[in-house]
Amino acid sequence: MKISLDVVLKDRPGQLVKLLEPISQKGGNIISIVHLRETVKEGRVPVHVSFEIKDSSTLEEILEEIEKRDIWVSKVGELSHKERYTMVLVGHIVDTDLRDTIDLIHEVEGAVVADVGLTMPDPDMESSARIVIDVHREVLENVLERVDEIARKKDLLVIRPLGV
Amino acid sequence: MDLQIIGFGVIGQGFAEVLARKAAFFKERHDLEFNVVSITDITGTAHDPAGLDLVEALRVMEREGAVIGYPGAEKMSGVDAVREVEADLVVEMTPSNIETGEPGLSHMKTAFKEGKHVVTSNKAPLALRYRELVEMADSKGVHFKFEASVGGAMPIINLARENLSGDEVTGISGILNGTTNYILTRMKKEGLPIDTVLREAKELGIAETDPTYDLEGIDTASKLVILANAIMGTDASYKDVKVEGIRRVTPEAVKLAAEDGYVIKLVGEVADHHMEVSPRLVPKNHPLNVDGVLNVAQLKADVAGEITVVGKGAGRVETQSAILSDLIGIAKKTA
Ligand SMILES: NC(=O)c1ccc[n+]([C@@H]2O[C@H](COP(=O)([O-])OP(=O)(O)OC[C@H]3O[C@@H](n4cnc5c(N)ncnc54)[C@H](OP(=O)(O)O)[C@@H]3O)[C@@H](O)[C@H]2O)c1
Repeated sequence: MKISLDVVLKDRPGQLVKLLEPISQKGGNIISIVHLRETVKEGRVPVHVSFEIKDSSTLEEILEEIEKRDIWVSKVGELSHKERYTMVLVGHIVDTDLRDTIDLIHEVEGAVVADVGLTMPDPDMESSARIVIDVHREVLENVLERVDEIARKKDLLVIRPLGV
Repeated sequence: MDLQIIGFGVIGQGFAEVLARKAAFFKERHDLEFNVVSITDITGTAHDPAGLDLVEALRVMEREGAVIGYPGAEKMSGVDAVREVEADLVVEMTPSNIETGEPGLSHMKTAFKEGKHVVTSNKAPLALRYRELVEMADSKGVHFKFEASVGGAMPIINLARENLSGDEVTGISGILNGTTNYILTRMKKEGLPIDTVLREAKELGIAETDPTYDLEGIDTASKLVILANAIMGTDASYKDVKVEGIRRVTPEAVKLAAEDGYVIKLVGEVADHHMEVSPRLVPKNHPLNVDGVLNVAQLKADVAGEITVVGKGAGRVETQSAILSDLIGIAKKTA
């Protein structure tokens, strides 16, 4: 089963390891970690982690161990189903290696590029592409960050859907 | 109530026209009488404590194109008019200069110093120095209202502050620039590139000769900041907004979006203290999908839920609806 876990960590070195250790010790497979650094409040950082484990009794054991380590769990549940997000890109999409763009998105755990539509009006002009990505809500932040990075590096315009 | 008009262009003249035309209605419906004691444009000031003849002033503009042509008008600046002419309220309708906020900023500050209320359609001073202006008006005990500075006829600021006064507004999103909305709409309908549509919009008078601020998203950012400051209590300048305009949007991008059920719109959005203006994919059946020169704004309110307002974002006459609402609001409070 896939688990989505929100915790609050002290903003200090070594805290993340304290969180991840119990998960891997119980054979859990980390899918993604989102560190909400910009929302540090009173020396605490919210962290989201999703992972895959065998069953719910394993989850109980993991949670018990995490709480013993003085980590505050704010939310826990099964990872949501994947949702589909469409984006449109404008720029020199082919010249800046579309294959590489897709690979870079795939590097984000749990993100799958489900469809790509490309239109090139003229080799000298900017082309446009529609990219459809399947991803869990919880991991969406990571994908958006990655797409932003790619866009900056390759000078692409990213047109995101409303609300994300 | 004695009024001073500063800025006598499209909006200033539209104001004079509506004020003259609806005088009987204001008297009958609201028991209010407005007397314009001065009118200023760049050429000078016409003033008369007994009240100027608005129909004559409009005739002068048609004939000579300058306020200085009004009988007895002098070479008096806006700031001097605010200092020297006795009045209760200044209606400020000079051009929006987003670099400096002038001349509006000086007109407004001088009015506050003189203990005069201000109603304005000029967004630049508000997008640059919101908090300072509001605090100055407060400290002088005068009213300061600016519904017309965002979204023309679309009622949004007064709606949020008065009708939703028990709500906390946690997010705002909207299309706040009619020119770019027109351009994106034509691109979608005709499959044309932006340059072609822009040329057409200039010919129709929908786009200004220099449409940079519209296309780059700066006009939208200015309005977004005014909304965030006025409705959500932030203290931001338009420079705090992350801005991407529509210049790079291609007809192919518009088509690719449409194939998946989306339209591309230039959206201004405030959410979680993050302010952004950028072209976005809006689902076809979403309330923000309005076409042509229309403006739209959606508020997320903690009690009411989502509220959406649509209206004409500009126009000589339409914008007067917002100016009148502010004016009558102040007149009633101070009567
Ligand atoms: N047009 C719309 O639909 C609309 C809608 C909402 C808000 N607004 C805002 O309303 C304001 C007025 O717009 P508009 O379309 O009426 O502009 P406009 O036609 O250019 O008129 C501006 C007026 O201000 C005068 N002026 C310029 N500098 C001045 C100064 N230093 N002192 C005194 N007067 C001065 C101009 O005089 P001269 O003509 O002699 O230069 C002119 O009479 C702008 O801030 C605009 O952003 C416009």
